[in-house]
Amino acid sequence: MPVYSPPVEDMRFVLHELVQIEHVVELPGYEEASREVVDAVLEEAAKFCRERLLPLNASGDEEGCRYDDGTVRTPTGFKEAYRSFADGGWTGLACDAAYGGQGLPGVVAVMVDEMLCASNLSFSTYVGLSHGAYNAITQHASEELKQRYLPDIVAGRFSGTMCLTEPQCGTDLGLIRTTAVPHDDGTFRVTGTKIFISAGEHDLTENIIHLVLARTPDAPPGIKGLSLFLVPKLALEPDERVGESNQVACSGIEHKMGIRASSTCTMNFDGATAHLIGGLHHGMRAMFTMMNAARLAVGIQGLGIAEAAYQGAVAYARERRQGRSLRGARHPDQPADPIIVHPDVRRMLLTLRAYSEGARALGAWVAKEGDIAARHPDPDVRAEAEEFIGLMTPVVKAFFTDLGFEAANLGIQVYGGHGYIRANGMEQYARDARITQIYEGTNGIQALDLVGRKLPADMGRHLRRFFHPVQRYIEQHRADPALTDLIEPLAKGFARLQDTTGWIAREAGRDPEQAAAGATEYLRLFGLVAMAYVWVRAAEISLRRLGGEDDGLATQGAAFYQAKVDTGRFFLERLLPQTSSLRLAIKAGATPVMKFDEESF
Amino acid sequence: MAIEKVGVIGAGVMGAGIAAHVTNAGIPVVLLDIVPEGADNRNAVAERAVERLLKTEPSAFMHPGNAKLISAGNVEDDLARLGGCDWIVEAVIERLDVKQALYQKLASVAKPDAIFSSNTSTIPLAQLVGQLPEAFRRRFLITHFFNPPRYMRLLEIVAGVDTEPQVLEQIRNFCDIQLGKGVVACKDTPGFIGNRIGVYWIQYAVVAAMRAGLTVEEADAVMGKPIGAPKTGVFGLSDLVGIDLLPHVLASLEANLPAEDPFHDVSAVPDLIEAMIAEGFTGRKGKGGFYRLRRDGAERVKEAKDLTSGDYREARKPGLECLAAAKEGGLRALVEHSDRGGQYAWDVLSHTLSYAASLVPAIADDIVAVDEAMRLGFNWERGPFELLDELGPAWFRRQLETEERPVPALLAAAGEETFYRVEAGKLEYLAVGGGYRCVSRAPGVLLLGDIKRSSDPLAGNGSASLWDIGDGVACLEFHTKMNAIDQGTFEMIRTALALVPQKGLKALVLHNEAPNFSVGANLALAMYAVNIAAWSDLEDLVRSGQAAYQALKTAPFPVVGAPTGLALGGGCEVLLHCDALQAHAESYLGLVEVGVGLIPGWGGCTAMLERWAQSPAGPRGPMPPIMKSFETISTAQVSKSAVDAKRLGFLRPDDGVSMNRDRLLADAKRRALGMAEHYRPPEPFEVSLPGPSAKVALEMAVHGYQLIGKASDYDGVIAGHLAEVLSGGACDITEPVETDTLHDLERKAFMALLHEPRTLARIEHMLSSGKPLRN
Repeated sequence: MPVYSPPVEDMRFVLHELVQIEHVVELPGYEEASREVVDAVLEEAAKFCRERLLPLNASGDEEGCRYDDGTVRTPTGFKEAYRSFADGGWTGLACDAAYGGQGLPGVVAVMVDEMLCASNLSFSTYVGLSHGAYNAITQHASEELKQRYLPDIVAGRFSGTMCLTEPQCGTDLGLIRTTAVPHDDGTFRVTGTKIFISAGEHDLTENIIHLVLARTPDAPPGIKGLSLFLVPKLALEPDERVGESNQVACSGIEHKMGIRASSTCTMNFDGATAHLIGGLHHGMRAMFTMMNAARLAVGIQGLGIAEAAYQGAVAYARERRQGRSLRGARHPDQPADPIIVHPDVRRMLLTLRAYSEGARALGAWVAKEGDIAARHPDPDVRAEAEEFIGLMTPVVKAFFTDLGFEAANLGIQVYGGHGYIRANGMEQYARDARITQIYEGTNGIQALDLVGRKLPADMGRHLRRFFHPVQRYIEQHRADPALTDLIEPLAKGFARLQDTTGWIAREAGRDPEQAAAGATEYLRLFGLVAMAYVWVRAAEISLRRLGGEDDGLATQGAAFYQAKVDTGRFFLERLLPQTSSLRLAIKAGATPVMKFDEESF
Repeated sequence: MAIEKVGVIGAGVMGAGIAAHVTNAGIPVVLLDIVPEGADNRNAVAERAVERLLKTEPSAFMHPGNAKLISAGNVEDDLARLGGCDWIVEAVIERLDVKQALYQKLASVAKPDAIFSSNTSTIPLAQLVGQLPEAFRRRFLITHFFNPPRYMRLLEIVAGVDTEPQVLEQIRNFCDIQLGKGVVACKDTPGFIGNRIGVYWIQYAVVAAMRAGLTVEEADAVMGKPIGAPKTGVFGLSDLVGIDLLPHVLASLEANLPAEDPFHDVSAVPDLIEAMIAEGFTGRKGKGGFYRLRRDGAERVKEAKDLTSGDYREARKPGLECLAAAKEGGLRALVEHSDRGGQYAWDVLSHTLSYAASLVPAIADDIVAVDEAMRLGFNWERGPFELLDELGPAWFRRQLETEERPVPALLAAAGEETFYRVEAGKLEYLAVGGGYRCVSRAPGVLLLGDIKRSSDPLAGNGSASLWDIGDGVACLEFHTKMNAIDQGTFEMIRTALALVPQKGLKALVLHNEAPNFSVGANLALAMYAVNIAAWSDLEDLVRSGQAAYQALKTAPFPVVGAPTGLALGGGCEVLLHCDALQAHAESYLGLVEVGVGLIPGWGGCTAMLERWAQSPAGPRGPMPPIMKSFETISTAQVSKSAVDAKRLGFLRPDDGVSMNRDRLLADAKRRALGMAEHYRPPEPFEVSLPGPSAKVALEMAVHGYQLIGKASDYDGVIAGHLAEVLSGGACDITEPVETDTLHDLERKAFMALLHEPRTLARIEHMLSSGKPLRN
């Protein structure tokens, strides 16, 4: 069985020392999130994940969900775990107190999310989708709908879904056929079939709130004609909480490679009562609220898997004994040394560690900006934060999930043949992680979003939110001899990113395929440089702590800080150099990809 | 005989505009109009016209001083003053009896070799002078200007059967070379070329839009940019020229055109338009037109007329799919699109283009004249036959046949061919009798387009190309979008400077045939570099520009700039580094960097200091050049003409001005060759500057402007940087400052401003709205 214990120490370091949530706590509405409260939340969440969710991970995978005549049963133990989860107030952790939520900053919630994903990715999908629905309803629905549905969603009595995909339409939402016909009473009647609907039907909550993209009768073609509808599984009269069954039915579930305890449903809407959300033909805008939050959340899934794979691999590498250290036996009393002595094993372990910790720090930066975008009193500051998040969303989604899958693979590799055996749990990470690279917009789509939309938006102004702070940081610390070996690799990587970004801006104007052909590599280059920046900052703080400096924020002992600095150096010296080859590949342009004769494939 | 004095009779919009434009050529004008009834001042009409001219925007005069060249008078007392005029232009009311009576009088006062012309747009020449003596008829022709005469390049010229060839030739040359007009010879038919086709087009498009139920925004969006017409479309154009003018032109054409002319099918004035005119909604000059701006508090809301109800409503962005299709697939995709915009485009274009095709040779000898007239008179990018070529004449003909509409003979004659073709590098057109003929140019006209058709560039990249324009002169052509300047431009300047001597050439001309010489640095690219914090790239861009421009100046052969239209910012700076300029009269130069929160960084500040320091006219001492440069740059002044650019110091007193842009390149080439013999590059520039004390003086001046609200807080910051550069930085008056030092100061100031959020906000605003932001 894999071992996993939520990395609360590193989370505290990231929250209190690196992104310094004391500044977030100053924002209106977050006053409650004192350091004590935050630390207590992390401890409690860790305990819940360790004790209640982790034990259900392998069994849930083994058992899977079961479909029976329109109903879906989640694996044994899920229902009870979910009830405890909701009763503990976890479903409303980052929700508005006005609807019964805890009102904690998103940057704290993101840490809890990571724990959920690491201990039981399937379980996290039910929770994550409900939070996505919460966001969409909060921002786009009428006051009446908010009052009617949000308290139950926040309390975990209702869950949510996103119903986009149809048999003929995946990435290209313009092809959606599901229709919504206006009804006399101001509601709509939705008819159509949606597939691959996560948490579309299950036995965890009293009601399920579907958010459905559909087309009204006289809507313009393509995505401009889509509207978003709220369709409850059980139709509610204004004064009741749970009413009659709506015309929504689950007609089957998928049998999947991974996240098998998460129900993936085919949903049939047959004249189901629906409420319009966010204005007629503005469905895409409302959907993107959910989608952007969901994309960041999926990035955190990648991080969770990476951390779990890391911890599993380290545990195994300490106990598994094979061969001798190249410098001579380290444990002569034993028949062999633990494999953790071997350079290549250590390479794998450090890669896992550097990616996990780097992603945690980077994710926290983005989440903190999310809190600023939501709550800062100055609209200009909010707008800047919004631009930063828009820019980083595809990076977090695709880069983190790619790393999650790579990490799961490395985890298996450290286990050797035992990694391939189900009972050891490592292969489940690889299977579970695989979907994160696909859903909520494939990673290829994320790369196109970054290159085709985010880069040129407002003449590149969104880029300023990332490039300027990094450039400033490099300039400010360049002269410090103690930091030279950290800053110089960062500066080089950053220069590569600048150069490539400029190249793409120029080339994309002439030929969009030039940029699109290298989009995936560009996104990774961006992610690596962004990660390098947070790594250097983490290492810089740690060096200061090791040098005896304490500004009252220190959370850890010397060994932690030393490990931080060493992992940071590993990242900068061993992983960041990928940027060099990525740059070359991107600047090869479209020709190597597009010249090849289509017939010859 | 040279034309040294001109008489204009009739001081209405056209007469006054013609008079003003004649003075733009430096020629005095006698401007006469009637004596108003019971007036004390018998010259009031003509005098008021001159006053009005001085207030017209855009200005009718290239220099306000030109107004002094007009001597105003009246037709009762001052006819005798026409005796000194070489050319007398009649621009009075469009009434045959009035004109004929006037001609009788003119014949008696004018000198024997004077030339007479009428600016009529509707009355055939034969009717005008049929009753007059032959001696008069021999010296008479029609010269039809378009409004406004300074800016519209088309001049239609019609000779009568009796008009002497040398009279025709003399006026043609004068209008071409000295007035800068594109002279098109027309036949003596109603509406000549421009109005015959143009008015049909407008009227058809208006009527068809009403018939098809399009909104004015939709109709204009289709009939504007997608077909290469001005983006005003037809409704916006009607607002501009005056809706009340249309019925007059329509009535006159209706009265004079033969009964079978298709014009009659559309000539009825729609009720809505009648009503609008009756209520004073005559367009921009009236209470509003098809569009109007309604003040809503501080906001100005653009409204459009609903063609069905006649009410105004908020203007809407047209959402026609055919517009996107046209962007992708061009004109053919537009007219083939099935939505109502596409159907409308086909309806209007098919009728207008077949109408045009049916009129040759009746209204002009060849299609070249028709295309030229529509380009220069209606600002179409392509004339009717060029549009037909784009659609495919054979395809077009088959469409007409399918719809069982008549096929004009000329279109049938084109068969499967096109109206124009390029043979052996020469542009040819399909002649009326069949067969292709070369498109010929007048002597003294040199077009880069012709050179480009017949030769390969000496060098070129995405930003600029170098051409051999003959006689040992090379031409560097910018060709980015809006001719924005980037690293590629500098690279090509360096290449040109190396290639000119290598190829045994003697001189270099900077010229291109785009509407605007250059709008300056590619701000979008620079902004992008700022956003990704590529500061060293940006600094390199400044250095490269300074070095490239400086190299133009120090080259061992003459470099002549030949701008037309806008030359702003970096586009102006490159001209300031040329050894001489030959500018088109309509050249608008300016160092407008402060508008985007910057200062000239490619040597522009330095060059302005040098201009004023070396100006023979200016007062002596270190301060005047600094003050002059500071004033021009800090207020982002743009010259209103080439002559005005001399006042601002962008042109030197002895730089040349060409009135006709088609002659600009030949003139510039001649100037360059004239300088090439015994050429010596200018001495290195150095100047004594006072340093900090001068800076304080300049800053105090700006502070004064801030106190009276004429400069914003941030204007002051920018001006401070400019003052730092122009005063010489930390220097003192005893040590002369060299170019390199000044360039360093420019670069430092430029880079500092690029780090300012308010500069970035200005750049962004300019890029997104095209207008400067005052923050």
